[in-house]
Amino acid sequence: MFLRMVLGALTRQKKKLLMMACAMALGISLATAMLNVMLDVGDKINQELKTYGANIIVTPRGASFLADLYGVEDGAGVSDKYLSEAELPNLKTIFWAFNIVDFTPYLDASVSVNGHEEKVPLLGAWFAKHLDIPTGEAVDTGIINMKSWWDIRGSWLKDDDESGVMAGSIFAGKQGIKTGDKLTIFARDNSGKVQTAFLTVRSVFHSGDKEDEGLLAPLALVQGLTGLEGKVRRVEVSALTTPENDLSRRASQNPRSLSRQDWEIWYCTAYVSAIAYQIEEALTDARAKAILQVAESEGKILQKTRLLMLLLTFLSLACSALAISNLVTANVLERSVEIGLLKALGATNASISFALLTEMLIATGIGGVVGYGTGLGLASIIGHSVFGSAVSAKALVIPIAALLVLLVTIGGSLPALRMLLRLRPAEVLHGRQ
Amino acid sequence: MTRQAMFRRIVLSSLIRRRSRMLVALLAVLIGTTVFLGMGAVYYDIPRQMGREFRSYGANLVLVAAGGGSVLKLEEARRAIALLPVDKVVGATPFRYETMYYNKQGLTVVGTDFSAVRKTSPYWRVQGEWPQKDDEILIGADIAEHTRLYAGSFIALEVSPPKGRKIKKEMKISGVVHSGGAEDGFVLMPLAGMETLLGAGGTAAVVEISIAAASEEIAAFSAAIQAKTPGLTPRLVKRIADSETTVLSRLQALIFMVTGIVLFLTLICVGTTMLTVVMERRGEIGLKKALGADNKAIIFEFIGEGVVLALAGWLPGLVSGYFFAQMVSVSVFSREVDLPFFLVPLTLCASLAVTITASLLPAAAAVDVEPALVLGGE
Repeated sequence: MFLRMVLGALTRQKKKLLMMACAMALGISLATAMLNVMLDVGDKINQELKTYGANIIVTPRGASFLADLYGVEDGAGVSDKYLSEAELPNLKTIFWAFNIVDFTPYLDASVSVNGHEEKVPLLGAWFAKHLDIPTGEAVDTGIINMKSWWDIRGSWLKDDDESGVMAGSIFAGKQGIKTGDKLTIFARDNSGKVQTAFLTVRSVFHSGDKEDEGLLAPLALVQGLTGLEGKVRRVEVSALTTPENDLSRRASQNPRSLSRQDWEIWYCTAYVSAIAYQIEEALTDARAKAILQVAESEGKILQKTRLLMLLLTFLSLACSALAISNLVTANVLERSVEIGLLKALGATNASISFALLTEMLIATGIGGVVGYGTGLGLASIIGHSVFGSAVSAKALVIPIAALLVLLVTIGGSLPALRMLLRLRPAEVLHGRQ
Repeated sequence: MTRQAMFRRIVLSSLIRRRSRMLVALLAVLIGTTVFLGMGAVYYDIPRQMGREFRSYGANLVLVAAGGGSVLKLEEARRAIALLPVDKVVGATPFRYETMYYNKQGLTVVGTDFSAVRKTSPYWRVQGEWPQKDDEILIGADIAEHTRLYAGSFIALEVSPPKGRKIKKEMKISGVVHSGGAEDGFVLMPLAGMETLLGAGGTAAVVEISIAAASEEIAAFSAAIQAKTPGLTPRLVKRIADSETTVLSRLQALIFMVTGIVLFLTLICVGTTMLTVVMERRGEIGLKKALGADNKAIIFEFIGEGVVLALAGWLPGLVSGYFFAQMVSVSVFSREVDLPFFLVPLTLCASLAVTITASLLPAAAAVDVEPALVLGGE
């Protein structure tokens, strides 16, 4: 009998229940989309923040700051320390290898151009170097990915271009250099011999930074000019990190001060200090420092964005839950005559409520499933149109959505049911309200 | 009784008599208004609020001396800063670079204004205290490691002023600064302290400015500075300004999409609820038609009801919508929300549009009602 009543209602009341299902589908699609976007927004914004460039800088231990600090010239002994280029693929083998987005090694030299007395800084770097990692992976990494804000008049260099060079905008402006000009470059290598190179300016770049005052060339070319084959002065690393907290701040001062348990938590979390520490382990005599300007700010922006999305999701879910349960109430209120009739025929309150709730739950449940599918579609539309990549579907959303369907349906039906059950059958059936 | 009074009475009493139904409809309008106003305010306020957060990346405009000179006049920099809108300037910090000696080793000493530096470079970590007096200094983390000097120690710096003999000055290290950047290898002292040691007051090498504005806006400011203060060259810090524009526009697009979807769904829900509530009045319409009411009068009644509902839900909705936006703003950014006024009438229009549409749909159906059939109960 119960089954028959429910089935009967489902087929006869098609239009009303369809409306309920549609409303629930809308609500759940909103919930699914918002929750998926919210759970993924941290990763997405983190990727976007990579446009700020490197957040870790790796220098040789010991000599790391002397050149900057005392203005010591090359060859004076103290700053002649380098990292090995051959070790760099090790960066992609550390525990958080997956979080290392890009890295570029640099080697600088001081050269004179076209016989002028004035020394011009020549910076060697990777542009889009292809690396085969010991783990079997292959990556392309270099300055093209890391300096997305640079304006280039012309095109970037290729790493195997042995006769190309890029000129910084200030340097080019001072010397009146244009794309296509030929430069003769004299450099002193580490044994004191003068090396000459004939290079063509392939493009002019504007970085808004001090690179604008010099030249930029492939790393191999600068290594050849200076006689420092296989050596680099510093490496900039761009890594996806977790916002800093107390633990990571303590760790960044001295990792050894942590208790064993804290140390493990710290080492296995993608804090910028933990990644820097692992880079030091992977490279010989390296010192990796977090660039706080980028690392700290990233953390701040990420936290704010997450909190913002969390609140917006929570509030809009609360509002749509209210709106839908309100609709459920309106729907149940309409059925006063039916309930009056059932009561007049001797049905108990419990059996009426049970039948009505089952009916509602079947309708909203179907709506919920449809809504979940639509919601995934919405989330991927948001992902593609805002970030240009799909939002990954999180399994956690399914139980939350199911719970929402249940709460909203029951929460919406119960008050209306209680009110209707209080009515006297005779009055309702007569048509007075 | 006039026609108008009768209309008023029908509308009002239909609202009052069917209390539970109307409460449902009212609640729907209220929720709709809340979401509309709240999300709208958040959307309009995001660039301003987030822009402020992005200032933790530090200066996005740098003033240097024009024509390749290495010294600029602070007086001129002040005039340049006066050209910028006060509420957008987060901070402006002068930096002056000099060489001093400690144990015969040259150190780069930076004279600056510490209260300003905390605004333009909020990411510096200082162990110890920020300098309070003119003879207190900060040293970079690398120097601290190298010299084994820490907060609280004293350091004797040797200076050779342009005129006169070498001076040896004892300074107190009030803290160690750590930034991961060039500052780690510098000694920082108050600009005033540096001026008493070396003279040449009122000058600096660069002035860093942090402005809460998009990169095109900053470019406009820098053009104005270039034109009005010929002694200075403003330089946009491309890395900071461009990246901020990229990320901020993504964030805004995200909020826009989310706001759009939430609004759309809320409006549909509100409309549907209204529709259900009004739908059940077919019997009543049949009766009215049997009593001789024409279609126009019936449609007007429905619209009248919709308008009353929209107004009644809109007023409390304004309040709750404001609290919605305020809650988001205060808990995320710890700042008051700035509610653009045009949202208030816009919200009213939206709620009127939704309630009237939702009332008109059943009214259109009601016009076709055959009184006899409906009253007969079929």
